[in-house]
Amino acid sequence: MADLFPPLVTAQIDDKPKVDEKVDYSNLPCPVPYEELHREAYMSLKPDTFEGLRFDFTKGLNQKFGLCHSVMMGPTEVPSQSPDTVIKIPTAHYEFGANYIDPKLMLVGRVMTDGRQSARVRADLTDKLMVKANAQLANEPHMSQAMFNFDYMGSDYRAQLQFGNNALVGANYIQSVTPRLSLGGEVFWVGVPRKSGIGYAARYETDKMVASGQVASTGLMAMNYVQKVSDKVSLATDFMYNYFSREAVASVGYDYMLRQSRVRGKIDSNGVASALLEERLSMGLNFLMSAELDHKKKDYKFGFGLTVG
Amino acid sequence: MATKRTGAGKSGGRDSSILAKIANHEIANKGRRAACDAVYVSKKLLRSTGKAAWIVGTSFLILVVPLLIQAERDQMLGEIELQQASILGPPPPGALQ
Repeated sequence: MADLFPPLVTAQIDDKPKVDEKVDYSNLPCPVPYEELHREAYMSLKPDTFEGLRFDFTKGLNQKFGLCHSVMMGPTEVPSQSPDTVIKIPTAHYEFGANYIDPKLMLVGRVMTDGRQSARVRADLTDKLMVKANAQLANEPHMSQAMFNFDYMGSDYRAQLQFGNNALVGANYIQSVTPRLSLGGEVFWVGVPRKSGIGYAARYETDKMVASGQVASTGLMAMNYVQKVSDKVSLATDFMYNYFSREAVASVGYDYMLRQSRVRGKIDSNGVASALLEERLSMGLNFLMSAELDHKKKDYKFGFGLTVG
Repeated sequence: MATKRTGAGKSGGRDSSILAKIANHEIANKGRRAACDAVYVSKKLLRSTGKAAWIVGTSFLILVVPLLIQAERDQMLGEIELQQASILGPPPPGALQ
């Protein structure tokens, strides 16, 4: 195996005289996990805008254990028959949660006043093997879901196996091909609507930009690009195309991380402009404001909130 | 052509028939139609410009105004810190940190 590597390295140097250091193909970095491929793009382009009031209070009782209380009041959308009208019903609920966070074990549980419960477990069994479990229980029958993931981290690759309810089985694999480029693929099989799918993904990153793309046999093709213009500003753009239903959406957004605040804004080709502003009023006190204007459907949503702790 | 326009002529009789003739002429009709079209098009243009201005204005308000406000506050904070650093100077070696 080692005999194959030296010819590859010298060929690289002959083709690109600008490369000033030898690429050591036997010592590549570990790639990001498959589900976090688009992490930078989605951090900028998908801020969680909300409608109404949101109040979160987190209290740490210990170094590892904490409780959190959260109140959310506002209209929630109900799917309606025609795509033009939106039906909103005012709701309010309170959520209580407990977190236990350890370097090797993380347990998170949440309970809401409308009867929904959710739990997340993340445990490092060995240095390289990690188990994640995620469950959500709801009052209505057949609405509960659970998912288990087993992750194995190799020296320059990651492999993951997934099992979920409704007989969902999936696997994905991602490998670093050069220090900047990583390629991966996934397959899954769902039992209830019997279908299976396969997908491929690629991610290229330097310290100034990240570009990633994903294609899946469910008809989804997504590409995104994030450029870090300075250490406070980053701009991102995203293109999603469904080749079965022939719909395409493109969006452009920015993310300004200033000392006392963080502003994220995005405009879409569906005519949606949204922004989220998080401002640090004092130590541990954050004030959130969110706005979303949908010019096509004439649906305007505004929200404000406070996060303590 | 017998004229039916009652208010057209100031002095009745022959003057009103000449005015009526001019008013009913082919070119006058064309001019009237052109004026109606121009009013219709300009109304539509005004409405679409108004719609575009509303969309651009509200999107600007949401996307750009909070950013400008926060950037200016960050800049003022930087200036205050610079001023304080220059007034107080470097801390003496035995000072409480």
